[in-house]
Parts: sequence; structure tokens; C-alpha cells
Amino acid sequence: MPNRAACRLRLASVSLSTPRPLESGLAIEVRGLTHSYRSDGRELRVLGDLDFNVEPGGYTSITGASGAGKTTLLTLLGGLEPPHAGCVQVGSYDLRLLSGDDLAAYRRSSVGFVFQHSGLLETLTALENVELAFTLSGTSQRRRRHKAKTLLSAVGLSERAIHQPAQLSGGERQRVAIARALANRPGLVLADEPTGNLDEASAERVVALLEELHATSRCTLVLITHNPSIAARADQRLLLTGGKLTPA
Amino acid sequence: MSWRDALALARKGVTRRLGRAFLTVLSVALAAALLTALLTIAQTGRTEVLRQLAKGGPLAGIKVVAAAPDPAQIANDNARPGPPKDLGDDAVRAIAGLPEVDSVVPVVTSRMIFLPPDPPVRADTPKQPSAKVPRFFFETMVGVDMNKSSLLPVTLLAGRLPSAESLTEVAVTTGYLERLELNPLEPEAVLGTELEMGSPRVFESLGDQPLRAQWQRTVIVGVVAQEAAPGQVLAPIQQATLGRDWTRQSDAEPEGDFSIPTSPYSGLVVVARGLDSIGKVRTQITRIGYSTSAPENLIASVQRYLRVIEIVLASIGAIALVIASLGIASALLAAIRERRREIGVLKAIGARDRDVLRIFLIEASLIGAIGGAVGTLAGALIAQAVGSVVNGYLIGQGLLPIDLDLSPLIIAGGVIGSTVLAFAAGTVPARRAARLPAKEAMGVV
Ligand SMILES: Nc1ncnc2c1ncn2[C@@H]1O[C@H](COP(=O)(O)OP(=O)(O)O)[C@@H](O)[C@H]1O
Ligand SMILES: [Mg+2]
Repeated sequence: MPNRAACRLRLASVSLSTPRPLESGLAIEVRGLTHSYRSDGRELRVLGDLDFNVEPGGYTSITGASGAGKTTLLTLLGGLEPPHAGCVQVGSYDLRLLSGDDLAAYRRSSVGFVFQHSGLLETLTALENVELAFTLSGTSQRRRRHKAKTLLSAVGLSERAIHQPAQLSGGERQRVAIARALANRPGLVLADEPTGNLDEASAERVVALLEELHATSRCTLVLITHNPSIAARADQRLLLTGGKLTPA
Repeated sequence: MSWRDALALARKGVTRRLGRAFLTVLSVALAAALLTALLTIAQTGRTEVLRQLAKGGPLAGIKVVAAAPDPAQIANDNARPGPPKDLGDDAVRAIAGLPEVDSVVPVVTSRMIFLPPDPPVRADTPKQPSAKVPRFFFETMVGVDMNKSSLLPVTLLAGRLPSAESLTEVAVTTGYLERLELNPLEPEAVLGTELEMGSPRVFESLGDQPLRAQWQRTVIVGVVAQEAAPGQVLAPIQQATLGRDWTRQSDAEPEGDFSIPTSPYSGLVVVARGLDSIGKVRTQITRIGYSTSAPENLIASVQRYLRVIEIVLASIGAIALVIASLGIASALLAAIRERRREIGVLKAIGARDRDVLRIFLIEASLIGAIGGAVGTLAGALIAQAVGSVVNGYLIGQGLLPIDLDLSPLIIAGGVIGSTVLAFAAGTVPARRAARLPAKEAMGVV
């Protein structure tokens, strides 16, 4: 398979310590990605020989039936799990070569996650949730509070800084989550059905915010959604079926 | 993530979810309370029992009498003395010079005739006893240096001790009250009453009735329990010396109630460096040639019993703490199952395995620390409550109340012990949390 060969070639030339280019999104290059789950002794193949490219700073939407493997693709792109086979290259990171703390460092510095559930820590306030991302990246205590406040006001929630997630609406929670995802200026933002639990107006506001921040930070944005009108707004629109991505 | 950041995060995790941690904290608190209360009561009991054994003096006190040692009695706590033998300043110097002796206090006794007042109680005493007061009686006055009362087996029950230089102040024992058929539970009644006493002397020239006394008026200023020497009146040593010197000038041997003393001191109270030196010091005094007694065997066996009781009580408390730790471990394991997604999110936003480990270890320790602090405090209060109930009973029985031995060591041990145990209990759940896969963040299957 030519794809595999190209991938191996790239492996040899990429050094782990290569710094990612600042101030711009990360390119995504996926070749021959295969991933399966084992349950009850049977192997369930979710992604099969999938190829996928996103330009640095690109905006891609992915749609697909429930259970098609969209979330699985995001966990692999975001380094939450190593791919079983195939090559996943994000910027200068070859995710097959990373594990443990290196993978954690990749997620910390290069990836911003927005989940369908907001993924906010229930015991922290909105501000503290955003601060947590800075804490993890080792930002000094003085600066992290200031930066978190700036981010919260950028998503229009400076008024709700001291509220805990349970006191916020679904849309507000997602906006806090977006602020947190963008805290460390990631080169790649991965959003897994961020509007799945929201009413139309909130959904629109959340997507508009994501698009605005994508435009200003020039990060690469991969957005998974069930909503065709939202999917239609991306530069690149893909459909995940049968373990492969095809143009939508 | 630094320990400090992890602490801040864990603190919020515990305190803002206290409702959930409540039962766990409570179980730790109860265990710590039990441990603290048991240990405090055990330690107070120990202190009190030993205080009783020491009769108000130092625990390492040894009584020396003006008699030769009986070889068959040497190791006994209450050795029967051999034949009388004079005990003077040479012997005091020799004993005081022994390497493991802390102090030597001489005791002088004198047989006297006492004329109690009638009535034998203060005028303002509410209930006058109807007892028949004897016109006079023979009794022994025990003279000691009042400045050294802390080195003597003397416990003040009412009033005060006579001042060291006084020739007119004395204290009496509860034996005196019983002799006069007074209630020994109301020692205050005799305070301030006048006791007339005379040192007897035999004048051979007086023929049929050869006894004459040198009379002296004294005031009873205190009531004591004392074991310095047998006798119901405790006085500064000069009073006893003066009386004895008068009696010594008798020119014939008296009959009955008293004999002519020859020894300068009737006994000594020797205090050894510590409980461990009692045996050695007794042997050395025996070698110098005097009979000794000390409750060393009694103290040793009582201490063994006390140790056993302490071990049993501490084990009960420790078992409670271990059960509480298991509770922490199982509560944390359950919490981790519930918080899989939260842990996944932490990892998704960049936390390393060891960051997650830290957070959960600290959460466990915090639960232990909070429970330990609350519990130790509660335990101290429980011990205090038990103490005041016990004291109420003791005072009702006319006994001295006990002081609660609330050792800072027990309190620190309770808090630190709970924290450390909780930390240990947290290691398994924390490791499991740290190893959870990051993809749990997605909240899928
Ligand atoms: N950890 C897992 N173990 C077993 N099967 C899984 C696991 N995660 C996902 N799957 C299965 O993989 C398939 C794809 O899941 P997912 O990526 O969540 O799809 P989508 O996000 O498109 O709905 C589903 O059939 C799902 O049941
Ligand atoms: Mg999904």
C-alpha cells in the first residue's frame, strides 16, 4: 500500500522535539487509519483504512450516522487513544510515536476539546474550569487568573465567572468549555457534537463563537455535528460511512 | 501539575462535594473520636492509678526506717524491719550520696498526749456531731520539712499545710477525724480548731505518777493523707524534734503508750532517679544497713496491667480506623467509577497520569484529615464528658477529682494517623483513576 510507505518515510524524518509552528493551525494528515473495538470477544471494526487531510487552519465538518465512528475518529486525532494501525500526523506530531506523558503534553499544548457534554468539572466555577487548562500547562498562578478572565469575557461570560456548571445553562456551559479549549492556543480544536444538547438559538450562538475564535486564532477546526445546516458552513464537508470519509 | 495545584483542586473536589464525602468523613471522624477518647481515658487512668500508688509523693519514693534490714524481707514491697537501729546524719549523708538518689527527706516522730477541743469542730459548722470526745489520747506526731512536702507521700485534702517554721500549726489525717467520730468526708469542719498537746517525760523521782508533759497549743490548719510515717498529726520537723528531745530526757523507762526514742531520725523518705532505679537504690541502702520499703513490685505489676489495657483500647481504636480506611478506599473506588468521565476530561485537557494520581491521593488524605480533626476534637470532648461524670462520682464519694490527661501527642496522632491511613487507603483507588483511559472523556460506551 503506497500510503503506508509514505507514512513510514515521514516517520523517519520527523523528530519529536520539532516545535509546532506558532500562530497557525496544524495540518492533519491521516493515512490508512484503522481502528476496531473488541467487545464480547468479537472485533468491531469502526474505522477501516481511512484517509483524511485538513489544511493548516482549515475548517472541516464531519457528519455521519450514530455509531459511524465519528467520536472514535476524534479520540484518535486528539491523542486520547493510540491508533491501532495507520498513520495519524497532526502538525509535526506523529501520534503513533507518542504515548503516556508525551501524549498528555500533545493534548495539553496542541489540542482543544469541546465535548457534547460540556466536560466541565462540577466542583469548579466557570473561571476555575478555564484556569485549570492554564494550571495544567504550568502557567504561573498570577497570570492564569488574568488570562482565564480575559477568555471568559471573550466568550461573553465574565458575569458568570463564579458560577458552578450546575448553575449555568447548556449553552453557557458550552461557551465556558470553548474558552477552556482555547486556553493554551491549541493548533487543533476538536468539537464532538457541541450543539447536540442545545436548542437552536443556543446552538447557533455556540457555533458562531467557535467559528469566530477559529477565524481569529487561525487554529484548525474539526466539527462533528448532526445538524446539516451547521455542517454546511464548513470549508470542507465530510461524511463518515462504512469506516471511511467521503465528501458530503 | 504541582502538589500545590493538585491540593487546591482536591480541596475543592472534597469541600464542594462534602455531601457525598460526608459519610466517609463521618466514619473516619467516629473512628478517630473513638481512638482519641479511649487513649485519653486510658492515659488518664494510668496517671491516676500511679498517682494513687505514689500517695501524693513521687512514684519513685522509698521509705527507710530506723531499723536494720531483715535479710528475709529485702525484696518485699512492705519489708518487715529488723531490730531497731539508730538513723542519724551520717546515714543520711551516705544515702544522699548514692548515685541514683535524687533527694532524701528525714522524718522525726514523737509520741504525744493530745487534748482535743470540745466540741472538736469549728463553731460555724452546721451540724454538730453528737459524738463523745475523749478527754485525751496518745498519738504520734510526724515531723517533716514542710518545704519538701512535694517529695513526700503527702496529699492535702483540706486547708493548707503548716508553714515550715511554725511551732503552732499542725495538720491532721482523716484518722484523727475518725478517732473523734467526725465525718471524714467533711474535713473542713476541724480547720481552725485548737489542739493542745504535750510531750511526755518520766521523772523517776516522782514515784507513783512519774509522767509530766510539756504542753503546747496548736491550731489545725489542714487535713492530709500522709504515709511519711504512721501518725495522725503532721507537723513541721522542729515541733517533733522539740517533743522528742523532751521525752528523751526521761530518767526511767516508761510503761505502755510510749518508749524513749534513741534514733535522731525515725525514718527517711528517699526519692530515686526513676522507677527503674528503685531496686538498685534499695539494695544499696540495705548494704548501708537500713530496712527499706517501696511499692516497686506493685507499681511494676500495675504498670503491666495498665499497658495491657492500653494496648487493648488502642487496638479497638486502631481497628476502627482501619475499618474507616477501608471505607475511604471503597467510597473512593465508587466515586472513581462515577467520575470516569471527569477523570477522562482531566486527561483530555492535558493532565498526566501522575497528576490524576496526586489529585486522588490528596482527596483521600483530605477526607482523612478532616475526619481526623473533627473526630479527635469530638473524642477529646467525649473524654472530657466522661471525665466530668467520673469526677462528679468521685467528689460525691469524698475523693479528689482527676485531671484529664489530654495529651497533645494523642491529638496530633489522631489527626496525622487518620491522614496517613487515608492516604494509604487512597493509593489503590488513585492508581486506578490514574490508569483510566483518556477516551473516557468522550463519555461513550
Ligand atoms: N470503548 C468501546 N468499546 C467497544 N465498542 C465501542 C467503544 N467505543 C465505541 N464503540 C463502538 O464503536 C462504534 C462507533 O462509536 P462512536 O465512535 O462513538 O460513533 P459516533 O460518535 O459516530 O456515534 C459504535 O458502534 C460503538 O458502539
Ligand atoms: Mg459520538
